[in-house]
Amino acid sequence: MDYLALAQKLVARAKKKGARQAEAFIEVGRDAACRVRDGEIEDLTQATSKGVGVRVIKKDRLGFAYTSDFEGQSLEHFVDRALALAEAAAPNPLNGLPSRKEVGATDVGELFDPQVAALPSDWKIKAALEAEKAGKAVDPRVRTFESVGAGENISEVYLASSEGVRAGFQGTYVYLYAVPVASDGDQLQTAYWVDYKRFLDALDAPEAIGREAARRAVRMLGAKKVKSQQVPVVFDPLVAASFVSSIAAAANGDAVYKKSSFLAPLLHQRVGGEDLTIVDDGLLPKGLGTSPFDGEGVPTRRTAIIEKGILRSFLYDAFTARKAKTHSTGNASRGYRSLPAIGTNNLYLEPGTKKPEDILREVKSGFYVTAMLGHGANIVTGEYSRGANGLWIENGELAYPVQEVTVAGHLLKMMKGIDAIGSDLQFRGSTGAPTVRFSELTVSGT
Amino acid sequence: MPTRSTRRTKPRERSPAVVAPRPPLLSLELIERLLSAAMSKGGELAEVYVERALVTAVLLEERRIKSAQTGLSQGVGVRVVAGAKVGYAYSDDLDDEALFRAATTAALIAHGGGSEQAFKVSRAPSPSHYRVPVPLSEIEVAKKADLVLRADKAAHAYDRRVKQVVATWADQTKHLWVANTQGRFAEDTQDLCRLSVQAVAEGKHKERRSGFFGGGGRVPFTHFETFTPELVAREAARQAVSTLGAVEATAGQQTVVLAPGWSGILLHEAVGHGLEADFIRKGTSLFAGKLGQKVASEKVTVIDDGTVANARGSVNVDDEGNPGELKVLIEKGVLKGYMYDALNAKLMGQRSTGSGRRESFKHLPMPRMTNTYLAPGDDTPEDIIGSVKKGLYCAHFGGGQVDITNGNFVFEVSEAYEIEDGKLGRPVKGATLIGVGPEALKNVSMVGCDPMPDPGLGTCGKDGQSVPVGVGLPTVRIDDMTVGGTRVGG
Repeated sequence: MDYLALAQKLVARAKKKGARQAEAFIEVGRDAACRVRDGEIEDLTQATSKGVGVRVIKKDRLGFAYTSDFEGQSLEHFVDRALALAEAAAPNPLNGLPSRKEVGATDVGELFDPQVAALPSDWKIKAALEAEKAGKAVDPRVRTFESVGAGENISEVYLASSEGVRAGFQGTYVYLYAVPVASDGDQLQTAYWVDYKRFLDALDAPEAIGREAARRAVRMLGAKKVKSQQVPVVFDPLVAASFVSSIAAAANGDAVYKKSSFLAPLLHQRVGGEDLTIVDDGLLPKGLGTSPFDGEGVPTRRTAIIEKGILRSFLYDAFTARKAKTHSTGNASRGYRSLPAIGTNNLYLEPGTKKPEDILREVKSGFYVTAMLGHGANIVTGEYSRGANGLWIENGELAYPVQEVTVAGHLLKMMKGIDAIGSDLQFRGSTGAPTVRFSELTVSGT
Repeated sequence: MPTRSTRRTKPRERSPAVVAPRPPLLSLELIERLLSAAMSKGGELAEVYVERALVTAVLLEERRIKSAQTGLSQGVGVRVVAGAKVGYAYSDDLDDEALFRAATTAALIAHGGGSEQAFKVSRAPSPSHYRVPVPLSEIEVAKKADLVLRADKAAHAYDRRVKQVVATWADQTKHLWVANTQGRFAEDTQDLCRLSVQAVAEGKHKERRSGFFGGGGRVPFTHFETFTPELVAREAARQAVSTLGAVEATAGQQTVVLAPGWSGILLHEAVGHGLEADFIRKGTSLFAGKLGQKVASEKVTVIDDGTVANARGSVNVDDEGNPGELKVLIEKGVLKGYMYDALNAKLMGQRSTGSGRRESFKHLPMPRMTNTYLAPGDDTPEDIIGSVKKGLYCAHFGGGQVDITNGNFVFEVSEAYEIEDGKLGRPVKGATLIGVGPEALKNVSMVGCDPMPDPGLGTCGKDGQSVPVGVGLPTVRIDDMTVGGTRVGG
């Protein structure tokens, strides 16, 4: 089926039925996944899916409808529904699609790996089994796996609008993960390790995934609580990436416009040290979050949110940018079931020069956090409090595992309190970070 | 109470939310043929799951309705079981070719020879735990918009310090049909809705606090005549305003008292997930192998009940066609049972407890909670608070998460107060509770006589699948709970 032509047809129908502006966003995808257990396949899933979302502006009112039913009559019906729904919304002169001047596409290079698209089921089964086997071989205390699996996705996106958008792209990704469970007879501990790439050649080897997951689970055996105290805290790259996500959430232009972000009053001010640079880069070659245009047809770009410690930019889609009297940063993120909302493309904290070992070695007594629980970052107030697992650092060495504690601080103070950034930037998904050390956070335990 | 909105008296508009003719149910004959195709490689059991869901949402922010939205998703998932192996394929194309492709793809999990066996299914009667006379999808959108507009007005009217309100309405009418090669055929219509309000208040020195409240369930639209948008909005506004000027939480072990209702989320995380049969079968839950053992204080009786009238987590039939049930999971501190879906039940020699749930046809079912609550005890809430010399009263929670393997769970406490000499004191901000499930349950020292279900707020995520759940709890005292905070000592 010519999906781009279909998108244009839906836009034309909406216009004919009275929409001032209209946009159709179509996603078509193919997914396959497999999980294994004890050397055998546990499940195999295969599917194709598709859907279209139509956004209309009629008399300054916004309506939206989506459907996965592509039958001709049903599609026409659904465009009419989007228009009828607009009647229920309030008029807002700022409602509108990105203009002809704003839309376009950037050349971001290849996002589609033919090797991933042609990946046989056997590859996934074999890869998952290898990861499981390698994980078990790490230590006899690796008893079982909660899950080990692999999968791939091939997706196509098509976008057409009354404002001149007529574009599409194809992308792939492939992933591999392991969640082992270790037991010492007394305690059970788990961990996970994953890799996620657009291109097969860039994916970590299955053995590496299995081994790293197992190593992380086994070293947590015997974990205990520590007493409440304020100490230096080191986040490993995975945990640091979730911290960076919290900062990006606070840089969301919509939250900022509503003054619902602690970062709102701080534009162009110092929020961290010279070595703190956080970037959202929609152009990162082969990045999982890379695309030629965002969810409403605005070319993606590289936006430094924080550059050398100075808060430089917030993230915007077209509507919020119009409200805030600025321009879209190409951060409209969406699936066909939703209106565009501000999100990140490839988000990362730029690496420093220190080796992660050295970052730990300089700590006399502190906490190395390797996993977190909960979502306790409040971007309105900046309060940060999350459950944490990891290892206690004594005289620069990892001494013993710790669980059932929280680490707490304030996001702004935390950024300002970063006193070491590692050279080990890594992406396990579309957000990346290196090892990060905070000079002091509160650890709550006994 | 504000008078009834004038919108009600407007002439009835042609409702945009009334969609489409009655869903085209796949014929029984086609479903039976799909089952045959799914078994063509020698599977042991096959299942066809058909779903059609209509959703409507209305979003209000900055004092006006920002958007009204609607959506339709439909599709079919075919599952084939061969021993412990599962093949799954789904399609959102409902033409024969796509459906049979899904069936034969799922069939490939079995490697045996093909036998063209025929399967007959017959309709199983199912109970009705929720009666929604007019499907929510057929209520005109203007009425839904009216609820959020009223909520916005009421939240702003509550206190001048309320600066921002985001109010949302979301509803879903889901039809599902599920048939399997054991001859079962079940269908259900599951309506679900939620009105929710987030209010942000601004106090001195630009301090901002937020409050959140909402509710609904598998209820008719008339539910909101008593559970009014004003009630929802005032509660959200109250939380935001009353936590202005909050002091930082003190880190360390404290006695905590949980307010009734939504606090039941703690139970959901602390023990509920660890009692789901998949984790038990794989030996990855710390509750595995502990049936009959004491895992909690004798004051603790935990029930998961899929049959609660109109509750958010209730199911007439689960997503494998088995009726929802009431299960006693822990009785007076002793572990009594787990929650089973059909596959784990089969592999463990048990029967399904009607706990097989899935987010949609795009997902495999797995054991999940429905409505999980703590049975009431004898203490009055006043006595419970009065018994605490120094501690923390947790009035409202944000979200929570659990690691079912080591049992660690955490919660963000969005509204909390100090307890000093048996009385509530200053509001506390930034508190998090953390514990290990069974230990926390052993430290439950008082259970109130004031059982309360949550108002219909919860959505539970597991392995990337979200399903609606209910929770509930009377006032509860837990000793020696670790409170995460920024202040050490004092």
